[in-house]
Amino acid sequence: MRRWMSAALAGAALMMTAMPAQAAWKSYINRQLGFSFMAPGEVKTDVGNFRGAIAGPRQTIVYRSVEDNIEYKVTVMSFLQAQAEGATLLGERQYMFQDRKTVLMDTFSRVGSGKDAVYGRKIVVDLPDNKGRTTGVFYFTKGRLISVEATVLPAKGSFASPDPDRFINSIAFVLSHTEPGAVELETPKLE
Amino acid sequence: MRLTALAILVGATLMATPAMAAWRGYISHPLGFSFSAPGELKVEKGTYRGALAGARDTLVYSFVDDDIEYKVVVIDMSDKANDAATLLGEAEYIFQEDKKVLMDTFGRVDRQFGRKLTIDLPNNAGRATAAFYFINGRIISLQATVLPANGDYDSPETARFVDSIAFFTVRAPDDAIELPAPPK
Repeated sequence: MRRWMSAALAGAALMMTAMPAQAAWKSYINRQLGFSFMAPGEVKTDVGNFRGAIAGPRQTIVYRSVEDNIEYKVTVMSFLQAQAEGATLLGERQYMFQDRKTVLMDTFSRVGSGKDAVYGRKIVVDLPDNKGRTTGVFYFTKGRLISVEATVLPAKGSFASPDPDRFINSIAFVLSHTEPGAVELETPKLE
Repeated sequence: MRLTALAILVGATLMATPAMAAWRGYISHPLGFSFSAPGELKVEKGTYRGALAGARDTLVYSFVDDDIEYKVVVIDMSDKANDAATLLGEAEYIFQEDKKVLMDTFGRVDRQFGRKLTIDLPNNAGRATAAFYFINGRIISLQATVLPANGDYDSPETARFVDSIAFFTVRAPDDAIELPAPPK
């Protein structure tokens, strides 16, 4: 009996080592830009570029991590001088996200409730050439367009992971709800 | 004999077809949009309420033809225009809340991105197709409802109406009628 139990324990230990290591999820906050989110892995800050017919060329701030073959990305664009155009800028961003891709879901999304509510959209697409599946949510609030995207890469093997939803549902704009000890994100200077 | 038969056929066809009003173009230069609709124009005031928007008066241009209701609803949000995206999202959400959604897709007109939705109204009260845009501090919504008395829920007239919106005045027909100012 003891031998049998030892074998079972050893087997379980072997399985554990064979499974990919899962990083802990941490909370991140950027008080200057007014949002917080949760993500696994090491979140790196970068500067990127975006171009839309209406938005024009924009520099973006990107917070990105990759964990267990899922890429997690929060992209921020500032439109402080064009806040009244927010609906169209948001629509353009959403349209570009799904353009020429297979749309699996396109529905309302909302962060907060009542007067604190921010309405956006949640869209799930399959990327061309079997490059993976991306879940994105898009919001425009306080002059900033915020995209939260999680891409399950083909190496992951299955699109059934709940982690993309966990990531995109973690975005918050009322910072008082952010858990204590959240990692403060830096805001890179844009040109 | 042939002429008589032809006359009877034409007469029967005309009797069987409901009277359809001609479509006319309308434009509001102060509000910055144009559209086309059939039937007689009525200008009304309405109300709108959203958790974010609060209580608002609305300006409604309405028409009824062949048991289809056509409405252009204008909601002034200029005092909260910086929340354009969320106010528009809220209006779209309220339109479809607790209803059966048949279509929910992008609307794109004259450099404006919005949304087009088709819903079945509760209690078999008809089918409504609507488009929502936020421009110049206002929500502009075109809504066409096929009433049960019409019964043709696949009527192309609703799409013709919501797709007739234009924000570039150069796209309005030359003979478009200037919309009257809202009632005081």
